[in-house]
Amino acid sequence: MFASIASATLFGATGSAVRVEVHVGSGLPGFTMVGLPDEACREARDRVRAALHSSGIEWPNKRIAVNLAPSSLRKSGTALDLPLAIGVLVAMEALPPEAVDGMSFVGELGLDGSIRPVPGTAPMVAAMGEVRPVVSSRSYAEASVAAVEPVRCASTLAEVVRALRGEEPWPDPPCLEGIPEPPPPADLIEVRGQPLARLALEVSAAGGHHLLMVGPPGAGKTMLAQRLPGLLPPLTHEHAVEVTMVHSAAGVALPPGGLVRHPPFRAPHHSATAVSMVGGGTASMRPGEVSLAHRGALFLDELGEFAPAVLDGLRQPLEEGSVRISRARATVSLPAEFLLVGATNPCPCGGGGPGACCCGEAAKARYLRRLSGPILDRFDLRVAVGRPSGDELLSAPGGESSTVVAARVLEVRARSMRRINGLNRSMTGSELDTHAPLTPAARHLLQRELDLGRLSGRGLQRVRRVALTLAELDAVRAGRPHAEVVSIDEGEVALATRLRQALAPGRAVTV
Amino acid sequence: MNAAERGAAAALAGLSGMNPKRLASLLGRHRPSTAWAIVMVEHPDPVVETWFRRTPSLVESFRRSGMQRPPEEMWEHCVLSGTRVVLPSDDDYPAVLHGDPAAPAVLFARGSLDVLGARRAGVVGTRNATESGRRLATRLGRELAEAGVAVVSGLARGIDGAAHRGVLGARPGCGAPVAVVASGPDNPFPREHRDLWAEVVERGVVISEFPPGSPPLAERFLLRNRILAALSEVVVVVESRQRGGSLMTARLAADRQIPVLAVPGSLHNRAAEGTNRLIADGATTALDTLDVLVALGLATGRSAGRPPDPRRRPSAGDRVVLEAFAGDPLTLDQVMLRSGRPLVDTALALGRLEADGWIVDVGGWFEPVGAPVGS
Repeated sequence: MFASIASATLFGATGSAVRVEVHVGSGLPGFTMVGLPDEACREARDRVRAALHSSGIEWPNKRIAVNLAPSSLRKSGTALDLPLAIGVLVAMEALPPEAVDGMSFVGELGLDGSIRPVPGTAPMVAAMGEVRPVVSSRSYAEASVAAVEPVRCASTLAEVVRALRGEEPWPDPPCLEGIPEPPPPADLIEVRGQPLARLALEVSAAGGHHLLMVGPPGAGKTMLAQRLPGLLPPLTHEHAVEVTMVHSAAGVALPPGGLVRHPPFRAPHHSATAVSMVGGGTASMRPGEVSLAHRGALFLDELGEFAPAVLDGLRQPLEEGSVRISRARATVSLPAEFLLVGATNPCPCGGGGPGACCCGEAAKARYLRRLSGPILDRFDLRVAVGRPSGDELLSAPGGESSTVVAARVLEVRARSMRRINGLNRSMTGSELDTHAPLTPAARHLLQRELDLGRLSGRGLQRVRRVALTLAELDAVRAGRPHAEVVSIDEGEVALATRLRQALAPGRAVTV
Repeated sequence: MNAAERGAAAALAGLSGMNPKRLASLLGRHRPSTAWAIVMVEHPDPVVETWFRRTPSLVESFRRSGMQRPPEEMWEHCVLSGTRVVLPSDDDYPAVLHGDPAAPAVLFARGSLDVLGARRAGVVGTRNATESGRRLATRLGRELAEAGVAVVSGLARGIDGAAHRGVLGARPGCGAPVAVVASGPDNPFPREHRDLWAEVVERGVVISEFPPGSPPLAERFLLRNRILAALSEVVVVVESRQRGGSLMTARLAADRQIPVLAVPGSLHNRAAEGTNRLIADGATTALDTLDVLVALGLATGRSAGRPPDPRRRPSAGDRVVLEAFAGDPLTLDQVMLRSGRPLVDTALALGRLEADGWIVDVGGWFEPVGAPVGS
């Protein structure tokens, strides 16, 4: 007999609908599977046979042929276990064919007949469209985020079979209410001193400007970066779904509600490989760190210690907001629009102020050479972070809390969304002229910087964008959040120039 | 002396295991060719036999390094690199070294030793200098040279190199640069100073007690400091850490009754710890070139007054920011905290002060600097 069960497979961060066709016929007993399954997929046979057995169902002693349609698409992973088991049951007439009409199945089977969650449940469920998906109880939350129709879930194959036969109702979904929210991200109020770095963090969050912090060990670069998620506004529903799809596809733990509501903060170790950073590697093209940081922040501590190839791999995503991974068999485009935050020491010894470092010029130059010019150029904000003095640590009053700063950030972001439907970091020259005209004093100051050769044409754009964000933050602080055009005065320009420091004397100063 | 003798002296100085004391002992008693035969164990000598008895490995290290660079080859190397081999019996052996307790028995010089006939001031300091320290060294070098003083230094990174650059930036025909180095005189170290090195050879002299081709070994830096000190009539330490080679040069100078001057710095500046200590220990304070010239007896006191600073006076507001530095290198937020001005005002003031030359920006740090060269 024949059965065709709806399911899906994962590729990149999107699912593709797949039909599992099972034919149980006469002939020499055996099992063949066609339709480009990968190794994990092919092993489904043994899992399904054992799971059926454990659920009290006899494996048919017949010839079983399975086709995964469309046959030209590569299937990977273990999500096809459950549909395969159901297909066998329907084809051996243990289940009526109409019981599975309008339903789809995603899940891995254990040998004891349990149904396990699989990575990518959310995008797979989204790809199946208007059918009622059946998933593992533990995937219920993320499947509900993506599904069009109400989701059904079960913990064992036996439960599914009984429900499909109408002997028992479908198991109740796990209760999603009352689960504690994850603890809030670290608060900015804990940072003592560091007024410049705090400002840089606020500007970075408000305008989406990529930020590089340069300073000796113990200056608090990592501590500052960890405060960034608390400043970013929560994701809109649309963005939250996008992020959830990517995180689900990568098998990253999702929050209890299934939906990633807060901007992600990814901080890979500097030993990261190029594939782990941009994605790919497996047949299903697992999303890399740049995609996991989509709509959030990617923090690279010890930027200079990352392999040059890894850092240069960031250039395309930084430019385009997505990353295209090409392999011989397939090409996939993954979303990768993130805020890049880097931290580095000024030299191998960690250094400090001028005269306090013990590295030779050559060693220093070698260290800084690892940060390629094009990557350095992407940072609108480059700030020197000094070690706070003992006085500052002990006596400085705590600055503003994250909540206060986040409110301003939200306001500035709302303004730029209204204006150009994007963040200030993506303002073009003509948009800057329209929305952020320069006062004569500011023009004069920029002219001086250009004459001194410390600013290039490209650097000029970047300084103007940062100056705009600074001016808007000021406007919001002064209670004028709705003034549509802000003119840029010399104060903002001077500060923006100082927020884009050269890394070392003699090094391309303000590219 | 003929080429064979000079070649033998050069080869002796290049032996591994040879040191200035042993060399002086050998050449004080024998002609270089005889001394060569002795260390190659072809000729008996009671003193050398004592060395060999105390340090048996010395026989082998003399023999092996001697075979690698025999006198003839060494002489050829000296000729090719334009290096003169100067022995104490020569006329142009620096006169001041004759009475020195640790005078080198052989000197290798590229350039003209005649420049040592002028008045000489040593300018030394740390390799890890601040930008303002480097600028001061350059200014000292240039102004001393223009006063006709030969500037002795070590061609190292930081203060040394800056001082030499200052001398080379002076009008030609002034005081010459004198470099006492720790590698062979044809072996520039650090490599980025290759051009500077060549210019010093052209305009002044590069002196070493190690033959051409010698690598800059760590212990050689300590040895060269004594020659650097001995060749100077005064030694100025521009910047130094608590423990540094330049403090050793200062001590070696003091041992030889040579006046030591030090440039004071901020208590918070690591690169000024050593110089401040020197002043506390009794060194003369050097605020500018005039103080050095006074120490050399080339000027009398400050009656003439200092030349006016050509920089535009900062406004009262900017002055508050400038004074907040108190000589320290600071980051923008440190300036802001010290001056008590808002961030935007601080940034604007720093921009104006930088444009007018009162401060410099060094990779996110700001340093106040003295008047520009040529004031």
